[in-house]
This record gives sequence, structure tokens and C-alpha cells, in this order.
Amino acid sequence: MSAPARHPAARAGGLELRGVSKSFGAVEVLKNIDLDIRPGEFVVFVGPSGCGKSTLLRTIAGLEEVSEGEIAIGGRDVTDVDPSRRGIAMVFQSYALYPHMTVAENMGFGLRMAGRPKAAVARDVGAAAEILHLQPLLDRKPGQLSGGQRQRVAIGRAIVRDPQVFLFDEPLSNLDAELRVEMRIEIAKLHRRLGNTMIYVTHDQTEAMTLADRIVVLRAGRVEQVGSPAALYDDPDNLFVAGFIGSPKMNVLDARLEGASLLVGDSRLPAPALGTRAGPGLDVKLGIRPEHLRPARENEPGLPFTVDFAEFLGGTTYLYGQCGPDLSLVVEAGRGPVPAAGTSLAIACDPSDMRVFDASGKRLR
Amino acid sequence: MSAITGQALAARPAVSSRRSRRRRRDLAGLLYVAPALALVLVFFVLPLGTTVWMSLHNWPLLGLPRWIGLANYKALWNDKAFWRALGFTSYYTLFATIGLLGTGLALALFAQGTGRAVALYRTAFFLPVVIGFASASLLWAWLANVDSGLFPALFEALGLTSGRVNILATFDPAFWSVTVMVVWKMAGFYMVILMSGLQSIPADYTEAARIDGASALQRFRHITLPLIRRPFALALVLCVSGSMLAFDQFYIILAGGPQNQTVTAVYWIFNTSFVSFRLGYGAALSMVLLVILVALSVVQMWLLRDKEEAR
Repeated sequence: MSAPARHPAARAGGLELRGVSKSFGAVEVLKNIDLDIRPGEFVVFVGPSGCGKSTLLRTIAGLEEVSEGEIAIGGRDVTDVDPSRRGIAMVFQSYALYPHMTVAENMGFGLRMAGRPKAAVARDVGAAAEILHLQPLLDRKPGQLSGGQRQRVAIGRAIVRDPQVFLFDEPLSNLDAELRVEMRIEIAKLHRRLGNTMIYVTHDQTEAMTLADRIVVLRAGRVEQVGSPAALYDDPDNLFVAGFIGSPKMNVLDARLEGASLLVGDSRLPAPALGTRAGPGLDVKLGIRPEHLRPARENEPGLPFTVDFAEFLGGTTYLYGQCGPDLSLVVEAGRGPVPAAGTSLAIACDPSDMRVFDASGKRLR
Repeated sequence: MSAITGQALAARPAVSSRRSRRRRRDLAGLLYVAPALALVLVFFVLPLGTTVWMSLHNWPLLGLPRWIGLANYKALWNDKAFWRALGFTSYYTLFATIGLLGTGLALALFAQGTGRAVALYRTAFFLPVVIGFASASLLWAWLANVDSGLFPALFEALGLTSGRVNILATFDPAFWSVTVMVVWKMAGFYMVILMSGLQSIPADYTEAARIDGASALQRFRHITLPLIRRPFALALVLCVSGSMLAFDQFYIILAGGPQNQTVTAVYWIFNTSFVSFRLGYGAALSMVLLVILVALSVVQMWLLRDKEEAR
């Protein structure tokens, strides 16, 4: 199946943030953020609650003023430009559809306020409605629509603005799980069809992984790492990113780096090739993803693992257990006989699948 | 077949016991609303019935009432003074409503935000509401007094008038001074009602409209105003019915003057009933005023009704 053609009139603009900071009173919510987003890219801001991702999006939209720094959209400095003149459109978490207007009036509101002739408004609203299959709903009020339909209308209102950059603020968090997956796919298709730059905020790392060309991981107002979903998953810069991306989480074990080997509990494992060789011993954190743990081969150094609990998910089984006091592990086992609780086995991991972090959480490469 | 009949017979006692349970529940519900019902009966329905009954009589203060049928209502039709009072009341209602709701909305917009000073403003704006109408009227009568009041002296000092002028002696300044007093005293009340509406509008709507490029005026006209329609309808009905029943301020400050030009409908009913002691005729006037008020309220509610079924 070939990818649908991009919208002929796509106006994709890139986005540049230079040293953007934002404070509310004494609280600094965004701290010196630099970011380059290419035209047509789908970028997801992800992070735990309170990390500043929504504030960053609102700052880009112009709903919050920056305390310091510059924002450029499509090569034009918009730091002090009104939200309506930045070339952006925003989809709110609450949808923010005007309850007293019909779907068509909602979608055409911006154009009507700009004094565009009725026929032109109707034409643009019709075109956007066609993209999202909203034509049968145009005369309804938001109160008569389902959650998913309201979401589509909110996106339609954004499309009518013909923006360079679409901003989505947790747009799927009010939908049920099934609809969320459906809308996620619809948004991904829309991006391919329209080709505009899209910036999407979510706290759900699955949404981030499935939608993004690149993910920006934020924590406490700082950018922790920027990269493709695969890069963030395989090659995290720090323990926070390693723990945040991936479900179930990456296993993190206290270990000691001694020359070419890692001491975990009483077991000695071969260490991955690291540029920094530790001499007499260095306390580190060892990160291993559940799917990289497997039963140890004969004579292979491994960790003794006792199964506490097995979670059968159909395609795979997750084994929860211990490999020593205070050393909890999750192991992804393939399809096969599910080990009973209390079973002990030796598990191992290829050194190339191990990620080593220093005591402060920074990755050792 | 017989099995089916048997089942139906067996089901009957269950149905009847369910019915009696429901009846008991209905009775309990009636018991709960009984106190409220009693209050409405004693303080609204009975007085209303009595007023209707009185309006069909010639009812002097002393002596026996005499049944005269609809004669009071026929007489009322030709009572020029009553219709003049009603005309003045409508005139006052128009300007008082514009002044009260306009000022109330402006104050609400001003004091709806968050901030330390805002709470202070709200309190200050609301403070006059808790003063009684009679006290406020007395205060105003004193302020407007030509010899010892503040206003005549102030207007003179500002050069608005040459010498001290009695602002209560001619219709226009007298009317406006009372209307301004009412706005000063009651605007805070309508501010609170309208502010509840403003604060229930999610900030998202305003932000979406800002991104849509709507100016502050356009946002107010197309987003804010339609979304405060319900509290606005409430404020309008309260304001119009309150103004149509105006009495204290015109009685205390102006005593109906100058030249009986500020006699309101209620003032005329008061004069008829408790100065001329024509209680039956006063009751008929009250009934007509009630009908007018109900009609006005219905029209307002209809004009400001929710046009969409669901929201």
C-alpha cells in the first residue's frame, strides 16, 4: 500500500527555540530550552506531570509569554507576536469547542472574525470537514457529539486555520482506551496527509513512541534528551529517559564496575565495552530491558532469579522476581511453559544490551 | 396454558405489594415537602387568594365589605393616575435595568480575576447591597439636601451649577439622583450573579478564541455574552421585577414629588390602600400589577431561552 499523497497546499514551517525560559513568580517552569524542529516533523513532548511540557507548548502558541529567549516559526521571530499571527493552531485537551455554536460555526469562527466572506468560510470549512469526514455533523452543537467526534471537530477547527505548525495539548487523554488508539492512528494518518509540522504533548509514552518522528523528553523544565523513538529506547542518555521510555520499564540494578566485569550482588557479569574504564571499582547502575534477559546458556555467567509472579499476556509473559536482596527484576519470556512462582533459574544478558549509568544517572558509554 | 395462568396468578401479589411500597414512598416524599408546602400555602397562596377575594369587594378599613364583582377592575380601566404611575414605573425600570445590569456586568468583568486586590474590590462593590433600601434612601435624601447636603455644595464647587440648586425640585435631576442611588446600592448584587456566569466559562474558550484571532471585543461579543445568557436572564428578571415594584426610594427621597411625577405603581397602590383606605380597589390594582409582572417575566425568559436542546 502506498502512502497517501501529501496535501498540495501544505505549509510546513520549522520551529526554533533559543534559550527559552519561563517563570511563574519565583518558580522557574522552563529552564533555558534550545530546540530545533524541522518543517513537516512530528515531534512529541513527553514527560511526567509538572515537567513543563504543556507550558512549553503554550509558550510556543503565545498563550504564555517567555521570560527569556526567542521563538521562531518558519524562520520568523514570533517571540512577541500575537497567538493568532504565529501561524499555529492548537487542539486543546478539553477540545475547547464553543458550546453555543454549531460544528460549522466552531470551525469557521477564526475566519469569520477575520472578516472573510461567507462563501470563502463555507468553502474552507467544507474542505476541512471532508478531510475528517465531518460533513454529516456540521449543523450539530458540540453537546450532541461523542468524545471522538468532538476531538475530530477540534482538529478540524485547527485545519481550517491552515497553520504552519499544529499544536496538540494531550488531545486524547479524555477518550477511552479503545478510542484513543483509533484517534492516534487517525492523527498519524492526518500528519502524513497534511504534511504540516506537528507538536504533540502527552504523558503517555506509548503515544509518544507510536506517533513521533522525534521525541523530546522533559523533566523539571529541562530537556533530558531529543531523538527518534528507537534512539531513545535503545540509546538513552540518562537513567530518567531509560526509565521513562518503554513499558514495562527498564530494569535498573545497583552494580559495581570492576575492570571488564560488573559485580551485581554476588554475581559477576561481563561488562559492555565502555570508553571510560574504571580502575579499582566504580558504583554504577546497570540498565537491562526485560526483553534482553533470557535463561543463561551452559557455563555462561548469569544472575540467579527467583520468580515471584508471572503475568501471561498472550504473546508474551512477564516474570516478576528477585535476583538478590533489593534487586527486583522483570523478565520478558516468550511463548512457552509459564514458570511457577518460586522457580529459580539463571538469567543472562548480552553485554551489548546492557546500559551502564554513573551514580548521578548519566550514561557511561 | 394452565401453567402460564398459574404464573400470572402467582405474580399478582408481588405486583400489589410493589404498588403499596411505591405508595408508601410517595407518602414519605409528600411528608418531606410538607413544611415547604405549608409555608408557600400560608405566605403566598392564601394572601394571593385573599387579595383576589378583596379585589371583588368594596372593602373599607372599617365597616363591612360589600361584593361588587368586577367593578374595581372597570374603575381601574379609567384610573388615569394609576396608568400614569405605571408609565413612570416602566420608564424608571428601563433606565434602572440598563444602569444596574450594565454597571453590574462592568464590575463583574473588572472583579472576576484572581489577585489580592480583587477580593477587596468585590467586597467594596458588594457592600452597599447589605444596606437596607430605607437607610440608603435616607442617606441619599441627606446628601441631596439643598441646605446641608453634599451634592448641591459639590456641584456648586465644581462649577456645574451657579449657586446651590435643589436637585430634588425638578423631575430630571430628581429622577436621576434616585436612579443613581439604586445603581450604587444594587449593582454589586448583579455583579455577583453575572460573575458566577463569567467564572464558569473555561479559560480554554478564551484561549482558543485568541488563537482564532478574535479581538477582546469579539471574544466578549461572541464567546462571553452568549455563555452568560442563563445568569443574565436571572439577573434581568430579578432586576425588572424589582424595579417594577419600586417604592421605598421614591417614597423616602421624593415623596412622589415633584408634582407627583415620581409616583410608582406600588406607591399608588399604597396611597389607595393605606391613605385613602380603599382596600378592595388597592387589591385590584395589585392583581393587575402581578399579571403585568408575570407577563414580563415570561417574555424575558422566552427571549433568553436556551435555543439548543443539549449542551
